[in-house]
Amino acid sequence: MADSEEQLTRELQRELEQELERPLDDAELRRIKELVRAQIEKELHAKSRAAKEKPQEAEEYFVRFSMNFCLQHLVLAIGVILLTITGLPIKFHDSAWAEFIFRHIWSLEVNRIIHRVGASLLMLVSVWHIGWLMTHAGRRELRELLPRVKDFWDFIAHVKFMLGLSPERPKFGRYSYSEKFEYWALVWGTAVMVISGLMLWFHRIALAYFPKYIFDVALQAHSGEALLAILALVTWHMYHAHFNPDVFPMNMTIFTGKISKKRMMEEHPLEYEQLIALSPPAPLPSEGEGGGVRGVG
Amino acid sequence: MKKLFTARHLKMRAGGAKCAVALARGFGARLIVLSVIMVGLIPISWPGYSQRDPNARCLLECHANPGFKREVAPGQFRALFVDYEQFKASVHGEKLCVDCHTDVTVIPHQRRPEQIHCLQCHYQGNVVGAPVSERPEKYKESVHGKAFERGDPNAPDCKNCHTVHSVRAHTDPLSPVYRVNIPKTCASCHVEIYTDYLEGVHGQALRNNVLESAVCSDCHREHDLFPPDDPRSSLHPQNVANTCARCHTDVSIMERRGVPVKQVEAFKKSFHGIAIEFGILKSAHCISCHEYHKILSSRDPRSPIHPLNLAQTCGQCHPNASSNVARGRFHIIPSDPDAGIVFWVYEFYRWLIIVMTSFFVLYIVLDLYGRWRHARRRPHG
Repeated sequence: MADSEEQLTRELQRELEQELERPLDDAELRRIKELVRAQIEKELHAKSRAAKEKPQEAEEYFVRFSMNFCLQHLVLAIGVILLTITGLPIKFHDSAWAEFIFRHIWSLEVNRIIHRVGASLLMLVSVWHIGWLMTHAGRRELRELLPRVKDFWDFIAHVKFMLGLSPERPKFGRYSYSEKFEYWALVWGTAVMVISGLMLWFHRIALAYFPKYIFDVALQAHSGEALLAILALVTWHMYHAHFNPDVFPMNMTIFTGKISKKRMMEEHPLEYEQLIALSPPAPLPSEGEGGGVRGVG
Repeated sequence: MKKLFTARHLKMRAGGAKCAVALARGFGARLIVLSVIMVGLIPISWPGYSQRDPNARCLLECHANPGFKREVAPGQFRALFVDYEQFKASVHGEKLCVDCHTDVTVIPHQRRPEQIHCLQCHYQGNVVGAPVSERPEKYKESVHGKAFERGDPNAPDCKNCHTVHSVRAHTDPLSPVYRVNIPKTCASCHVEIYTDYLEGVHGQALRNNVLESAVCSDCHREHDLFPPDDPRSSLHPQNVANTCARCHTDVSIMERRGVPVKQVEAFKKSFHGIAIEFGILKSAHCISCHEYHKILSSRDPRSPIHPLNLAQTCGQCHPNASSNVARGRFHIIPSDPDAGIVFWVYEFYRWLIIVMTSFFVLYIVLDLYGRWRHARRRPHG
């Protein structure tokens, strides 16, 4: 640092002397030295701060989900959690824990209100999602999410890989068969829950237009589908999003929208290849704010 | 029976020589002047007791005489006759008069004996062996006991149901608290309810000698009879289903009459049942739809649960209810094949849940196994 300071001072001195066509006096030299030191310190400070603020910036990542998509998931998650914690004690009202909840934590009346708040969030996000599917970005996601024959063969190949019958993991595109399966299970489940739930919520209207047995079927479907959905969430979803060793303890992609290049190459190699082929060579990550980001859209 | 009832309302008998004995009654002597009228001398062959009976003195002198009475107000008499034959046949037949009338120490007594109360023997932990299995002390907190305490002249005391001197066991067909006689006993005050009851299925069954049919006390209890808004009441909204369940879950009673036994269980699983259990008391329970004293079969066109009346019955709470509410089964348990289409929906989800959850768990185990396998191989390979 001291070397560069001296070198810079000498250079400036020489330049100025050439320009002024006379040697600089002591006061002028001292001033140049001060200015150079201040400038170097400032630069060093800025560098260290940048390094402190964005240490992961060096790692290359991709934008997997848009902010809109992440928000949809967040609202859905809050809604489903509210529905689960208030729905289960009704389904298992005979159990000691349900009795404990209703007698000591919240009353059945409060339970009913929370359940309907959760239901409103679920319906809100459903309408939002359907609206979003009609936009350009949404239509492209829907195309990616449509089940294809390849998904079936991917599943078979993946099971073979797990059993050690095949050395290679199948290559997935933007959505693997397990993600597509979960998406469509969610679509089906939400449809059943919303339709049957609305009948139960507005039972006065429902009783005017539907026979009682339709109402009973709606109640039973609501109860059965709910348990199925909760079990799918605590097994399939928890495993893929939390407990599998690749992402443990939690896959943050759905909240930040970002996925690392490493995971992108492992989990969605076909999408990765497609993106690399389509986009111009990436600039170096150190060259700016968005340097490491490869937009998917 | 007839004899028993008339015994409770003894008619005064006239005739014969009169013998008035005025008893001074301490400071109340001015208010109550007893004029005891006796019918002649003691007949030569007095039936019902022997001279050696320890109670003979009470009877001999006065109380065996059917005409023995006192004037409580001008022209109003109170019978003081004790039908000793009935007394000997009663549960207290072996007792002495003074066992209950403890304040009578001299015979003839000089003062009017104090009112006695059955609870002076029938209390928990008594040493004379007076039965208390039906918790008679609860009478004091019951609607009847409270009314009696307030001084309601119509409020019944023990004797109104059990009689005074001819108390019989509830298993004795001559007792007013024998199952078959209970409705009639209650009807001595609640006559309108009695006529409703007789029209209902329970009253009809009782008239057809179905002894296990519900009588008043099966639902209302006998001594601990509380108003329905009291949480201790057998007919408090949260207790109604359990009260009905005492008989309606009993296969041995219901099978013979062809009445289903799963109604109460189904109710408790329903929204109405859950709401009631956790404190939403306005929710419907058994009697909201079935009525109470005049409970009628769903085949009876007058019944609120007749299919044609269901819209109106449900409409009490659900204003939009139409005839649609009659299109479907009631009191269904989803896991029971009797539930029809609901059973199939239940089965569909049951199997779907079993199959899917097994698949999920198997998949996870397999995936972890695959990862472990490859992690182990990699260093060697």
